[in-house]
Amino acid sequence: MSFKSKVLGGLILAGCASLYGCAGQHSESALQEASADFQKVKEDSNVLRIAPKDVIRAGESLARADRLSTYWGSGSDVVHYAYLSQRYSEIAREHTNQVLNEERAAKLELDRQRLQLALRESKLLSVQQQGKWLEEQIVALATTQTDRGLVMTLGDVLFDTGEAELKNSANRVVLKIVQFLQLNPKRVVRIEGYTDSTGGKQENLKLSRDRAQSVADVLMDLGIDDKRIQVEGYGDEYPVDANASERGRAQNRRVEIVFSDEKGQLGAAR
Amino acid sequence: MSIRPLFAAVAVLALAGCATDPAPIEQMRLTEQAITQAKAVGATADDVPEMKLAETKYNRAKGNMADESYRNARMRSEQAELDARLAEAKVLTQKSEEQVNVLNTRIVRLRKQLGDAQ
Repeated sequence: MSFKSKVLGGLILAGCASLYGCAGQHSESALQEASADFQKVKEDSNVLRIAPKDVIRAGESLARADRLSTYWGSGSDVVHYAYLSQRYSEIAREHTNQVLNEERAAKLELDRQRLQLALRESKLLSVQQQGKWLEEQIVALATTQTDRGLVMTLGDVLFDTGEAELKNSANRVVLKIVQFLQLNPKRVVRIEGYTDSTGGKQENLKLSRDRAQSVADVLMDLGIDDKRIQVEGYGDEYPVDANASERGRAQNRRVEIVFSDEKGQLGAAR
Repeated sequence: MSIRPLFAAVAVLALAGCATDPAPIEQMRLTEQAITQAKAVGATADDVPEMKLAETKYNRAKGNMADESYRNARMRSEQAELDARLAEAKVLTQKSEEQVNVLNTRIVRLRKQLGDAQ
């Protein structure tokens, strides 16, 4: 009986010792892990820059765990503070990654804006190329490339006899001109009015000027800056055909739109 | 005779040991705050393991408080606080990573469009 109890006591003692040993080992390895983690964050310049407080707390907890490990029976405290230290190291690491990502994102955002701008410009360029296409259309649309530049003629049919008001049938061609001027913001125009030789000189001069002005008014109404538009009236001067025939007179009653070149250089007025 | 002061010293130490663990009311409050904050940024126990740890430990700490087992309550509560803070930090890092990825995707798309446009 007494032998049995001795054996039992011995076993219990051995068990206790081994448990303590395990506990000791456990706290030792926890301490080592926490220490390794702390070393890593401490040596990382980014972590030190971004999360210094967390690094300090990790160090403090680690020092506490280290101090406690020298006391007998403080295994659970050592494990506890080692755990806290490890957590602080991890938190420091996460904070650092977060801020690094944010810094990266800020740079990328600048890149993105730069690219977006470039894309917009290239799209604009393609619209300008479209403008070139439109220009070809306008050239085809009863325009003549003369020594005065690109000239577009609005015929007699767009005005009622003796009236300066532009008829609705002119809308399509006027819109084309507006679109063309919007796509070519540097180009300017001179709008020149002409009449046939019937009627008084002064009346014709006034009528030619009024007609040119009414075309200019429509362009302005559609958003073209009035600084880009010059208006001239030439009366019955500069006929394109003989005034002897009705057909010839109809040819001479006209409004001509003279376009500048791409840089805004307009040929001299007549 | 000479052993008696030793007993006294041990008794005092033991008492002192008990006395060093008052109810960690402030720590419990801090932990609750940390958990609330982590939840506010979207940390859930299902997605972030640290959040589950935080909640489990905090609940056990509350049990310890009820049992007046203040030492356990304090340790669990302290751990739970840092678990929750880590969970929060992880979620925020994750979000910042996603932000970077979104930007990278958009930049790739822009570059592609620019390539197409030229």
